[in-house]
Amino acid sequence: MIQSTAMPRLGGAARREAKRTSRAAVQPARPWLHTRASGLALILALLVLWEASARLGWVQSQSWPPFSAVLAAAWRGFTDGELSLPLLSSLGRMLAGYAIGCSLGVAVGLLLGGNRWIRYLVLPVLEVIRPIPIPAIVPPLILFLGIDDALKIFVVALASFVPALINTMAGVLGVDDVLLQTARTFRTGWTRTMLRVVLPATLPAIASGLRVAIGLALVVTIVAEMIAGSAGLGYYIVQMQYALRPDAMYAAVLCLALTGYTLNRLFLLGEARLIPWMGRG
Amino acid sequence: MRDRLLARLLGLLGIAAVLGAWELAGRTGALNPVLVPRPSLVGQTLWHILSSGEFLGPLGHTLLLFATGYGLACLLGIVLGLLMGFSPALYGLFEPLVELIRPLPKSALVPALFLFLGIGPATMVTVVVLAAVFPVLINTLQGVRGIDPVLLDTARTFQCSRLRTLLAVVLPAAMPMILAGMRVGLGLGLVLVILAEMLAGESGLGYLILDLQRSFQIREMYAWIAILAAVGGSLALLFDWTDKRLVPWRGRA
Amino acid sequence: MLNRRSLLQTGAALAVAGTARAAELERVRVSIIPINDVTPLFVAIKQGFFEQEGLMVDTSPSSGGATGIPGLVAGSYDIAYGNVVSTMLAAQQGIELRVVAPGTKIQEAKNDHSALVVRRDSGIRSGQDLEGKVVGVNTRNNVIWLYARAWIKATGGNPDRVTYKEVPHPQMEDAIRQKQADAGYMVVPYVTLATAKPEFEKIAHPYSAVQLGVDVGQYLATAAFLQAKPETVAKFARALRRGITWYNANLTNPDLLPVISGFTKIEVPLLQTLTLAPSPLAVEPAQMEKTMQLMIEHRLLRGPVDVKPLIGPTAV
Repeated sequence: MIQSTAMPRLGGAARREAKRTSRAAVQPARPWLHTRASGLALILALLVLWEASARLGWVQSQSWPPFSAVLAAAWRGFTDGELSLPLLSSLGRMLAGYAIGCSLGVAVGLLLGGNRWIRYLVLPVLEVIRPIPIPAIVPPLILFLGIDDALKIFVVALASFVPALINTMAGVLGVDDVLLQTARTFRTGWTRTMLRVVLPATLPAIASGLRVAIGLALVVTIVAEMIAGSAGLGYYIVQMQYALRPDAMYAAVLCLALTGYTLNRLFLLGEARLIPWMGRG
Repeated sequence: MRDRLLARLLGLLGIAAVLGAWELAGRTGALNPVLVPRPSLVGQTLWHILSSGEFLGPLGHTLLLFATGYGLACLLGIVLGLLMGFSPALYGLFEPLVELIRPLPKSALVPALFLFLGIGPATMVTVVVLAAVFPVLINTLQGVRGIDPVLLDTARTFQCSRLRTLLAVVLPAAMPMILAGMRVGLGLGLVLVILAEMLAGESGLGYLILDLQRSFQIREMYAWIAILAAVGGSLALLFDWTDKRLVPWRGRA
Repeated sequence: MLNRRSLLQTGAALAVAGTARAAELERVRVSIIPINDVTPLFVAIKQGFFEQEGLMVDTSPSSGGATGIPGLVAGSYDIAYGNVVSTMLAAQQGIELRVVAPGTKIQEAKNDHSALVVRRDSGIRSGQDLEGKVVGVNTRNNVIWLYARAWIKATGGNPDRVTYKEVPHPQMEDAIRQKQADAGYMVVPYVTLATAKPEFEKIAHPYSAVQLGVDVGQYLATAAFLQAKPETVAKFARALRRGITWYNANLTNPDLLPVISGFTKIEVPLLQTLTLAPSPLAVEPAQMEKTMQLMIEHRLLRGPVDVKPLIGPTAV
């Protein structure tokens, strides 16, 4: 159960590793822009198609603005704060939930990985709750957490908790027996062993859990704000849809794509700095 | 063996403890009986739904949507991943687009999809595909790129055709990675199935749960959530079981 | 946005000399739907009517309106704007709500702007024509769905032979144009925009056709809140009523448009094309009874709900 539930490492070290080997083996190193020129051209072509479909009336709808109007709306939204303020408030809630969920997830993961009796007792409860899709738990949660920040932070924390926990636990269980035996030989205490031996060896697994969690956290924040929103970017998207301002709505969607991309990049950067032994295991 | 039995027992004990505490809190009035009905009452409702067979319709709707969307996502992800992993030209063509769409919360695309695909099955399936395809695609790509060059050289030495190399060498070697991606896609796909049903409001477990909440039939809502949890759990178990059969060498490495 | 609003409120409160200072105001959290119907509430905020009663109203919008009552029950809000069907559904399940102030009421047929819209070339005229067809409604099993069904029945159709498809309000026009729906029950401002185009036409105004005078939406509080703070509720209703009176006397006043734009985010030029309907000063229990009977008829309720106790003293 453990091995198959462990999240694979999306992107990250494995991908960099793969890239390096494949480049060496298959193709000579070429500049980033050169290898992706065709891909960027494809995106550009799609955007031109979007612009034309709206300008020339191929798509006839109240809710299909030309791409240039979306860019203009994004610019306006950022200068007058209409778009940037909801973005910041979403990010704030997301980070709060993420921090809570991940710290609990790692702590419980270490506990469950370190003690099999607790694992036997608690894991089945988690396995029962885990398959419930997040959107399905929002309706009941509204009834006792209300629809304010508490709800969204809780939901984001829950969504981040699971991958953080599962990966941490899998990491602990995967720690080399030799390390543990060495610790035992030196009569190191349980707490000390956990902190000094198990935790560092588990860090790469924890990091990949945290990265999976950050992607989920953003998505879940937006979904929760869309279902039960009164603030934030998810609510803003719904609000603009209802206010018949699709240019502002797509500007927000665009802004989300960029945010997601940036978060992932930042994470990879931090990971490479903080855990230099990542991916070498 | 005795250890496994003990583990099972402890696990059941954990679940029983949670339900027991909930039941007790309900009976002593610590929980609002309307908002958080006792598990015994939810259980009765659940039994009624199961024994009357009324779960079959919505369950079928959800499973059909899931199977279609997830199946398409796996197919698309594997094919595109193999191609991108194999051909640098295709990699360069699709990589920027993939990186652009991948981090996008797919639910934000629903209004646009409504416009182009209509409010119905096409939109719902597309949303599920968009959610589940990326883990499969990225993992397939990684799997292909992580293949031992010696394997490829051997294939070349034996003058295997490109297609044959792809099917007979690359695909099996990348299988463990692909399956791990499909496992992540399974969870994400199910999330989006439920969300799509809530948004398109026709039928299925997602629609029912939202509709029951809106009409304040809380006990029924919890019963359906329990059914949904069982569905999600069974799908995951089924996947793991198949996974073990398909890649028996996983985990031994 | 909240900050800016509370700053404005503070400013207004300070400006109204002799009234309570902002620090002494009692905070009331109100859930609203960002539609025109709640304009009087924002008028009352802007005119300082709530401050003069010693209240500071904090509004928070709810996207579908479906979270208003759950938020109320959970204690996120003190007062919520909700539609009459949701209120009855909650009552049937034993959730104790009270109507504390009037919200939306179709008082005259000429002020019923929501309409059933079809493609002009569809040839659909009555409920009978809709049998076997698809009608778009924003949410099934709710107020719009109920009155669409009632109208279909009243004009010779069998409502059970019609398919109801959930279509969000902003997408209704596209859905009808693309023939995903044969008719759609549209509300302001979407109905105004759609019917300005030659391809669409209104065939009916179900609310006024089925039940002229229907009380569509009200402000609600939980019974517990009303019991604990009857004074607060009375102050709220009093200030809101002053807002309603001001609003009804200024329906064509251009000063209203920025207020509406402020909470709906709809741009002012678009708002200028709309005709505003007056708001009611009281809830009519008899109309709520009629809605309840309709709900029984269309199987939304299993049996009758006692309407009288649902209506608080401040609502009538």
